[in-house]
Amino acid sequence: MDGELTGYENILMYSKLYGIPGRGRKEAIYEILGLLDMKDRSGDMASTYSGGMMRRLEIAQALVNRPKMLFLDEASIGLDPGAKRVIWDLIRKLRKEFGTVVFINTHDMNEADILCGRIGIMEKGKLVIIGPPAELKTTVGGDVLTITSKTPGLLEQIKKLGYTTITEPTNGQIELLVDNGEKLIPHLVESLNTGGIDIDSVSLKKPTLDDVFLKYTGARIESEDSSFSQARRTRRVFRRMNK
Amino acid sequence: MTVKRYLTSVFTLAEFELRKVRHDTSQIWLRLVQPALWLLIFGTVFSQIRAISTGSYTYLQFMTQGVLAQSVMFVAIFYGITVVWERDLGLLNKLLSTPVPRSAIVLGKALSAEVRGIFQAVAVLALALIIRVHLTLTVGSVLGTFVIIVLFGMCFSSLSMSLAPIFRTRERMMGIGQAITMPLFFASNAIYPVSFMPAWLKPIVIINPLSYVVNAMRSLLVTNDFSQMPVDILALLLATVVLVTLASISFRRILS
Repeated sequence: MDGELTGYENILMYSKLYGIPGRGRKEAIYEILGLLDMKDRSGDMASTYSGGMMRRLEIAQALVNRPKMLFLDEASIGLDPGAKRVIWDLIRKLRKEFGTVVFINTHDMNEADILCGRIGIMEKGKLVIIGPPAELKTTVGGDVLTITSKTPGLLEQIKKLGYTTITEPTNGQIELLVDNGEKLIPHLVESLNTGGIDIDSVSLKKPTLDDVFLKYTGARIESEDSSFSQARRTRRVFRRMNK
Repeated sequence: MTVKRYLTSVFTLAEFELRKVRHDTSQIWLRLVQPALWLLIFGTVFSQIRAISTGSYTYLQFMTQGVLAQSVMFVAIFYGITVVWERDLGLLNKLLSTPVPRSAIVLGKALSAEVRGIFQAVAVLALALIIRVHLTLTVGSVLGTFVIIVLFGMCFSSLSMSLAPIFRTRERMMGIGQAITMPLFFASNAIYPVSFMPAWLKPIVIINPLSYVVNAMRSLLVTNDFSQMPVDILALLLATVVLVTLASISFRRILS
């Protein structure tokens, strides 16, 4: 995106370079501007745009060609939650209305989870795992339920009900590994109550893609023997950037 | 890619450079300061003291083309900085992702540098007329001058673009620009006749494209003696083709 040109000119330039014929070009550009909700600011210099608008303008430049496949490199990095949501809605719209295949690379696991049908996690330039988000999350285990109760005999009750505990109970707190945690909570509370256990609190933690990411990459970064080569590689990347 | 598509791409890049100048015209006036100093101070003083004999022409008549060429050269040689800047912003990457061939991008960029150079040339010529320098101004001589300026600007902006992958940062490009322009300016016939120069300097004048440019413009605007014109134009064309080719070959390396 060139700050010395207006938003419209930025798109016009790329539509010309992509060889879009003069007839219908203007309409095509305004259609894209409408899609991205930028029509009213299209005559202003791009340097006056906010971060979110700049990002949308860049996407507009790529869209004027009506690509079948779109590669987005960190499309929402550095944007506030509102502007992020606008970009996300746009990506969904592109998939649904134009059937564009969108390829995103991102560090934001939440973004990947929300938008992507298939996610690949890379470490040191190699793909370590790929699959739909739900499938990836099952590889880090199911939901974790944490139950607190001051009544003694909590552990015995839970074992009697046939649940797997992860940790030994401390301060009356116990962690269970379950499937479909949210559906299980009412049943569990009821059975524990009838067993004479007073429950103080129950909390549910579902696995996130962050957990998946850490499982496949995190452990290795922290291991001692690789930290040296990792540091060296980081330095090399920095050198390349400074060149 | 048809020839028409190719040329459209080249002119599209130049068109948007023109639009940028239109959005911000202040740069034209700012860049006029230096040539104005050369003409108004250096030129006026040296024509008073008559230290440099320029035959039957006044010194200001003689040096106007030199200042004209120098100011265009300055715009062109620093164009590499713009290219490095555009690389840092990711604009070059985006250009390369379009179907436009590399050589068309280089030609378009070279022509873009010339869009700025033309404004510069018009301004310097206007200034020369204001201080009443006597120039031959026919449609032919003015058009000819502009053709030469465009070629010359493309030649030097291509040189600048082929240096960009070697020097890589804006700061170094600034330094190398100065290291090239001033020696070329002084080792040319821009502000004094070659006959004044020591023998060791003369070979440099012969390989210096600036000399041919100044010569050609001098033929058009002052002397109206066209005997050297074919040599001048051929030398300029040769230098331009070589440098544009060089810049096209090395262009992708700016990104790595």
